[in-house]
Amino acid sequence: MASGNMKTIKRRIKSVSSTMQITKAMELVASSKLRKAKKKTKDTKPFFTEQELILNGIYASFSEKTKENSFDTKFEKHRDVKNRLYIVIAGDKGLAGGYNSNVFKLVNHVHSNCNTADVKPKIIAIGKKSVEYFERRGHDILVKRVNFADNIKSGHCSEVADTAIKMFTSGEVDEVTMFYTRFVSSMVQETSTMRLLPLETPHQKLKRLQEESETDVTKKAEAKRLKKSLEEFQKSPITATYDPSPEAVLSRIIPNFLAGLVQSAITESYTSELSARQRAMESASDNAGDMIDNLSLLYNRARQEKITNEINEIVGGANAL
Amino acid sequence: MTPFKLKIVTPSGVFFGKKEDKHYYTGRDVVNVIVRTTVGDKGILAKHEPYIAALPIGIVRIMVEDNKYRNAAISTGTIQVTEGGDTTILVQSCEWCDEIDVARAEAAKKRAEEDMARAEETDENVKYKVAEFKLKRALNRLDNAEIP
Repeated sequence: MASGNMKTIKRRIKSVSSTMQITKAMELVASSKLRKAKKKTKDTKPFFTEQELILNGIYASFSEKTKENSFDTKFEKHRDVKNRLYIVIAGDKGLAGGYNSNVFKLVNHVHSNCNTADVKPKIIAIGKKSVEYFERRGHDILVKRVNFADNIKSGHCSEVADTAIKMFTSGEVDEVTMFYTRFVSSMVQETSTMRLLPLETPHQKLKRLQEESETDVTKKAEAKRLKKSLEEFQKSPITATYDPSPEAVLSRIIPNFLAGLVQSAITESYTSELSARQRAMESASDNAGDMIDNLSLLYNRARQEKITNEINEIVGGANAL
Repeated sequence: MTPFKLKIVTPSGVFFGKKEDKHYYTGRDVVNVIVRTTVGDKGILAKHEPYIAALPIGIVRIMVEDNKYRNAAISTGTIQVTEGGDTTILVQSCEWCDEIDVARAEAAKKRAEEDMARAEETDENVKYKVAEFKLKRALNRLDNAEIP
């Protein structure tokens, strides 16, 4: 019995250690890709700060003229929300802990809590897992994008943004929301949502941030910063010359702005994915190591048992003579 | 001539105006910038009045003190001159004309043309527009490529 047991244990040790080799390799790949992705995420930051600054500046300087802080461009029209468009960003591959399923969980949670839960949302799916998930559930997928997160081009993001804008301005959908994973730190990534259309004006954003900061402390600093920057703009509004007109400039900036938001969300999600995979694979390797330790203990015990038995038999045999 | 600060920022990073080995970017001194806006060419010198305009696909000409222009091909974006004359150009992508990879631009042009033909057959408006945009960008890069 003992020798049969030893064989199975040995086989298990072998299979666990070859799995461990794979998880270790995946961990290394993820961590080297992660380093690059992190840099990319950092590189995209200046563009968005600058762009937001220009947008805030234009809105704040004109809030005197238009009472509702809005130019009433086609991007800001609020309607009763009936049809929704979700842009869902997930990964192309699995084995990244809860990375993919967490995003879908959030989508389901948000959708089942909105007032039109019985109307199926339209989907723009980014990442193979996202495409598969929504295809299986029979959603109307407008744009599918796979395998492009690690080499992202602004053209792809413009396509996503343009589709969203077209659906919104033609009235086919009344709200566009993006689901992605925020990269807070290597240890913390959180799924979050962002409303793209109708566009949130800086004043609306400030109001929302202030409301949220009552429950969420992390939003407080952001709200404070935005408030300060808006006040500054109001004190000394930009009396710039707009070529040809503020509205024309805005209607050019906004599609770019949205494409930019999509791009930043994708790069950030990708960084999160790699980080999640790295951690998942790290703990898998750890677990495999533990398993090998336990199994070799069992193996040694079985081996010792076998030797003891053999000695017993020899001694028993010698005594019998 | 009096210099002023210029920075060009794209989603893939700060293209112009970042000091090497530094994380922050403050802009680099230039003396003249010529941009093509949606309504015509615009030259910007130091102490220009505050100004905001949209930029179509085209080129930016930058003079960095030595009386020589260096051109860069850009795709759509915005230009803003703030109080004091410092200038920020925000564009989707930007490339020095003397660094344009002609072979790559040719390939992009061909791809865009194929995409356009396909989109026209299937009557997909958005895809057609995207392909048209890509074609414009490729043509812009080809037109402005400077072979040193």
